[in-house]
Amino acid sequence: MKACLLCEAILPALPTWQALIGIDEQKIICESCSKSFERADSIDKTTDLSSVTSLYAYNEAMQSYLHQFKFLQDIALAAVFKKELQTILKHQKNIVPIPVHPEKRMTRTFGQVEALLDYAKIPYLNLLEKLDQTAMGEKTRQERLRTKPLFQLKPNIQIKHETYTLIDDIYTTGTTLNHAAKVLRKAGAKHVEAVTLIRA
Amino acid sequence: MVNHFNEAVQHFLAGRIWHREHIPFLTDLIDEQIKARFINVIQGVTTTKNFLNQSIYKCNRCENHAQFKFTTFHCAKCEGPCAYCRQCLKMGRVSSCTELLIWKGPPISFHKQHENHWQGKLTSLQKKASIELMESTNEKKSHLIYAVCGAGKTEILFDPIYELLQEGKRICVAAPRVDVILELEPRFKAAFPRTPIAALYGGATPKEEPAQLVLATTHQLYRFEGAFDAIFVDEADAFPYTADETLQQAVQKAAKPDAPIHFVTATPTGALIDRATRDQAISTIPRRFHGHPLPLPQYESLWRYIEQIHKGNLPRKLTEWIQKCIENKQPFLVFFHQIELMEKALPLIQQFEPRIEAVHAAHENRKEYVQALRNGEFKGLLTTTILERGITISNVQVAVVGAEQSIFTKSALIQIGGRVGRAKETPGGDFILFHHGITYAMDEAKREINQLNQTGGNL
Ligand SMILES: [Zn+2]
Ligand SMILES: [Zn+2]
Ligand SMILES: [Zn+2]
Repeated sequence: MKACLLCEAILPALPTWQALIGIDEQKIICESCSKSFERADSIDKTTDLSSVTSLYAYNEAMQSYLHQFKFLQDIALAAVFKKELQTILKHQKNIVPIPVHPEKRMTRTFGQVEALLDYAKIPYLNLLEKLDQTAMGEKTRQERLRTKPLFQLKPNIQIKHETYTLIDDIYTTGTTLNHAAKVLRKAGAKHVEAVTLIRA
Repeated sequence: MVNHFNEAVQHFLAGRIWHREHIPFLTDLIDEQIKARFINVIQGVTTTKNFLNQSIYKCNRCENHAQFKFTTFHCAKCEGPCAYCRQCLKMGRVSSCTELLIWKGPPISFHKQHENHWQGKLTSLQKKASIELMESTNEKKSHLIYAVCGAGKTEILFDPIYELLQEGKRICVAAPRVDVILELEPRFKAAFPRTPIAALYGGATPKEEPAQLVLATTHQLYRFEGAFDAIFVDEADAFPYTADETLQQAVQKAAKPDAPIHFVTATPTGALIDRATRDQAISTIPRRFHGHPLPLPQYESLWRYIEQIHKGNLPRKLTEWIQKCIENKQPFLVFFHQIELMEKALPLIQQFEPRIEAVHAAHENRKEYVQALRNGEFKGLLTTTILERGITISNVQVAVVGAEQSIFTKSALIQIGGRVGRAKETPGGDFILFHHGITYAMDEAKREINQLNQTGGNL
């Protein structure tokens, strides 16, 4: 017996012959939960990124998905969008997930972007490191974000003159992705683009 | 080395089984209490190997051992393979590297001074049931209160609970549905103003003060172990309690080893009646507190209603019934078997009366909508079976669309009919079953209501 990972409704079993010859994989979420996600397929452009492609809108269903995945630490949900990620990243080769701070990673017990890629069996490069965001006097958070770098390259990393694709779970203001793109471009990347699961 | 226990920690933790990361005390204090052996630490999920050398997991909080409800992953915290339980996930994830805390220090001594402020008077049937319930409790026997909808079953619990409180006992009233707990909370707080009472359900914040009387959804009992001297399970036949064996185990686990677990319901299962009858621990109340009979269902054919509604036509009989309710200024509920069909019907009804809404389980405004129906802001509500029990709306008229659908079991229909005629002033009302064919469940419900009315009338 299998239940929907999101609403716990019992999922219909696949006829064995279909499973055997692999036409269809056993579903992990039910039809009505699948339908509750809304495709966005939006493409944005920023100064540091040649494109930011986002797959889904940040609707109510997506908010509760993200809550269960990140806050309730339900890593099994990393598999929900595996097909969609595989499709969009089919031709990309230098795939770079946006990292979480090591401490955050410890308390959450996993990095959410890496988990999304791992479950989709998409190979990636861990090139970036998140930097500490220590308080800096009277400066507001906004100012700090503008001035202080969020990421640095890991030691002994060689960046090629090629296109790199950054992956993040959600695209909001673009600050995170722009910071990461800057680091890669400065180190010699030809183009940097990004793919995110959600457009907020 | 500390050798005195911390009272605040004792008050919070006694009887509970608690996620270490969610405990509202400083780490040093908890460490010190663990070292002094007032707290026992156990692993969240334990792994054993079967004869094929496969890993078999068990969750030590909710006792889930259904293997498909576990997920394993490479954990960044314990740096290895880690398994977590998806059964009790919503209460904060428990995994192989989670520590669960259990209080091993002295038990809390609850105070014995309580007051019972309930002013009402029990009917002779309620009184008898209340005394029988108390007798079973003293004999540590599980008792069944089988009382029709509107018999006033909560009041039956007041005396036995009051007596237990005065003995310094800790008590739990549990129900599968949060709506029932929300309805019970103000009533118990009014009846026992001097008793520390906590209402626990998903989203409620736990208090540090130890509650002697706990009102909780059955899910919340995953977090208790050996805590209660008696548990009263209200609406014991409701979903998901009957469907989910782990919830039944959770209730067992939350009770002290020899504590009685009582059941209170209008629609007990056959097995529950048989067991209670054998143990001579059953009280039946076939009559409503106001003495009037239960409304009998009235069958009305509504052929091909699904096709009609999908085509955008509201069946004529249904339209007429709704218009009649509106004209007579009577609030009404229309039950549907399916959200999709209900949402197709809603705009068709709103065409002639906009002050009508639809509710279902995932609906956030459910409580407000029911309130709006009560105070006349709304004329009627369309609903799934979510409103089949627990709610009281004076003079409400009820119809079921598609009474032949399998979701409308005998129990569901009896509960739905139980919404009608609950007030003394308006003890009657419509209970219409619109159908595309009459089922066994419909006839069974009608037969049982008839039988209860006859028994009740002969008393
Ligand atoms: Zn689902
Ligand atoms: Zn569990
Ligand atoms: Zn772990």
